[in-house]
Amino acid sequence: MLKLHKVSREFGSTLALRDISFDVPNGQFVVVIGRSGAGKSTLLRTINRLVQPSAGDISFDGSSVLNLRGDDLRRWRASAAMIFQGFNLSSRLSVLSNVLVGSSNETSQMRRLVGFYTRDEKLRAAALLDDLGMLEKAFQRAESLSGGQQQRVAIARALMQKPKIILADEPIASLDPLSAKVVMDTLRDINRKHGISVLCNLHSIDTAREYGDRVIALRAGELVLDAPISALDDSAVRGVYENAEEHPACGKVTSFCAPEFVTTVSSTDTNTRKQEQVA
Amino acid sequence: MSAFDITTALDDSAVKRLEAAIAPDWRSRALRWAYGLGFTAVMIYAAYVSEVLSPKIFIGLPKLGDALWLMLQPSGFNYLPEFLWALCETIAMAFLGTLLGAIVALFLAIFCARTTFPLAAFRFGFRRFADGMRTFDHLIWALVFVRAIGLGPLAGILAIALVDAGTLAKLYSEAIDNSDPKPVEGVRASGGSWLDGLRIGLLPQVLPNILSSTLYMWESNTRSATILGIVGAGGIGYQLADRLRVYEFGQASLMIIMIIAAVYLIDMLSGWLRRMLIGRTSR
Amino acid sequence: MAVMNSGITILIQPETRAEALAVFDKTSQAHAQSNFRKTSLGIIAFAAAVALAAHVSQFDLMRLITGLPRIGDFLSGMVPRLTADNLWADLVYWYWGLDKWLYLLWTTLMMALFGAVAGTTLGAIFSLFAARNLGAPRWSVFFVKRMLEIARTVPDLVFALVFLFAFGLGPLAGVLAISLHTLGAQGKLFAEVNENVDMRPLEGVRACGGSWLDEMTVGLLPQVLPNYISYTFWRFEINVRSATIIGFVGAGGIGMELYEAISLSYFDDAGAILLLVFITVMLIDIASEALRTKISNVRAVT
Repeated sequence: MLKLHKVSREFGSTLALRDISFDVPNGQFVVVIGRSGAGKSTLLRTINRLVQPSAGDISFDGSSVLNLRGDDLRRWRASAAMIFQGFNLSSRLSVLSNVLVGSSNETSQMRRLVGFYTRDEKLRAAALLDDLGMLEKAFQRAESLSGGQQQRVAIARALMQKPKIILADEPIASLDPLSAKVVMDTLRDINRKHGISVLCNLHSIDTAREYGDRVIALRAGELVLDAPISALDDSAVRGVYENAEEHPACGKVTSFCAPEFVTTVSSTDTNTRKQEQVA
Repeated sequence: MSAFDITTALDDSAVKRLEAAIAPDWRSRALRWAYGLGFTAVMIYAAYVSEVLSPKIFIGLPKLGDALWLMLQPSGFNYLPEFLWALCETIAMAFLGTLLGAIVALFLAIFCARTTFPLAAFRFGFRRFADGMRTFDHLIWALVFVRAIGLGPLAGILAIALVDAGTLAKLYSEAIDNSDPKPVEGVRASGGSWLDGLRIGLLPQVLPNILSSTLYMWESNTRSATILGIVGAGGIGYQLADRLRVYEFGQASLMIIMIIAAVYLIDMLSGWLRRMLIGRTSR
Repeated sequence: MAVMNSGITILIQPETRAEALAVFDKTSQAHAQSNFRKTSLGIIAFAAAVALAAHVSQFDLMRLITGLPRIGDFLSGMVPRLTADNLWADLVYWYWGLDKWLYLLWTTLMMALFGAVAGTTLGAIFSLFAARNLGAPRWSVFFVKRMLEIARTVPDLVFALVFLFAFGLGPLAGVLAISLHTLGAQGKLFAEVNENVDMRPLEGVRACGGSWLDEMTVGLLPQVLPNYISYTFWRFEINVRSATIIGFVGAGGIGMELYEAISLSYFDDAGAILLLVFITVMLIDIASEALRTKISNVRAVT
């Protein structure tokens, strides 16, 4: 079980996360919603320890993961597998090499440096790729694949890590609807078949309702909703995404803002800035 | 009178209006004249200081003609083995110098790049250090090394390596800073070490760039290495300067032809290697 | 199916998972083998090249290691003892020849400037006859291109040695050598720039009855001028470095003085001159780079 207790994180003077506490029992599919900049990404990165919290505690199965260092930290990162919006694959390497990166904890540093992996390791990676329908692409460069295919490779890498929990940071934000469905179905399959908890940041409320067991909502770094997915009705959604005047940072993102909160000043602002960049 | 001959059909006031419309304003015209005159004055002064505007040039031209005439008749073919060996030495110097410089530059670049080295103050220092190495020409370093460790190709190799380390460190660190940080983050997040981040996330991205600039420096160094012998740092430059100083223009011309051929060959080889290495896939 | 890259193709349709994995296994082994072959071939070729080069150039690691401390001594000898309480007098003593050196450095800069401008101007004219698309006959393109390449490949120091025979010691030989080398380098570069221009403005000039010269001045020049100017500044930076060393053979500038100081072991003089050169080169690089970016920005806007 993953347990967060009063986790906070500040970047300079802005508070990205404030006193976040919740538990995730094994096998749950948790969706995390909130505006861009609300702290969703920071939350997942903090759990994986890509970001160090300023205060609070994170523990898994009863032992804290905040003071881990060196190999122990690497082992924790492997068991809390991250999946990114931008896939974060090494694009010039083959699909197979990218998946094998997930076996970092079972291979020596020397072997990883020269890129030597045993037949068994390769076969395990191949079986995972086969599960995801990507085996034929094993020897192609990652950059030659479509976005949806790259994300499936990233999932194979995550599974190669033998994860105890999967942290997916907006995994479908840059995919077309069909690929998005394949990726989300894959995450649900993994969740159901292997009982691995999934924490998934999402921008789309419909997708959240379709796949989640439970919803966690962040607003300006604070936990504003933690409930079964059935509680995510329209009024709850409005509560998460509205109240722009309380949160000046809101002008940045408008996809879920009600139109009246999108100030004309901020939108022309971004437009002129874009034009300047183009010029 | 043609129907298109407009001016005759216009009265004086209309002509004046048109003239006023197309005339540039006096300020930009004056500025343009000032720039032009200033530039011409500077150039004449530069020519005067460089002795281009002196009778020497007319006295010398017939002698230059003589030299060129002699150079059109390459000679000294009995020295060919000696020249060839010296040319090979030049090529070897350029190769080893580039290799040594590239190795040093690789380490230096890691300390010069924002992505791989976060301490801004030290990074600034390393960058200035790399800049300093490439401020002086190869020949100055070659002269210094000849005085310090003696005559021979070693001094030339070190001179090339030093300048290259500076230049390549700059190019490499720019390649590193222009790379995408996401793959490195991906490797780190999946439990890879710092070294894995560099090896798996960063290296495949920057390697084509690094190889390309190294090959380019190799070509350029082959040209530079041909003259290092003038100060005694090995290679064909020594023989070339020697023959030119005693006005053996025929032999010098033979060596120059050999140098041009060698440079062409190295350019071709480098181009072939570039296609081979950078065209290739993965790992 | 399963067409894998690097030429390894397997034409079996896998039916079951076990079969698919077997196909993968085979392909993976083939890849590993081919990678191993390529890598080891590359390593052997590279090692052979290094060994050959080391042999030809008599590379001796021991000599390098024993020599390194002497380089340190040498470099430390370049800066005389400067005491804090008598710093000014020490500096004046160190820079005893400042007037002369500054004058020579000035000459060096003027040589670099003249070489850059004269070489670039001539190079620009020659480049018109070395570009395939500007109406020059094919023999001229071939011939002029080869000439430019030769002028670019032969180092300026070699030209300087030839010119010294004709014009005697002094900056004239140096500045001509630098100009000639610049001509070659710029001419070749500009020929490539010319070959990549938009041909429509030139056709427009021709279509309304302009001469070849009109085509060049009205159609071509406005397109390439910012580029040319930018390259002239860049060449000036390179020429400053060349001009400092061209004096090594007696062809004017600060190089002559520097060469004497180092070869006659006046290390503190050498250090003083090198420091002056260093500061000058740095300043010029910064100024020239600022101007260059300003000009290319102008180009981006218009």
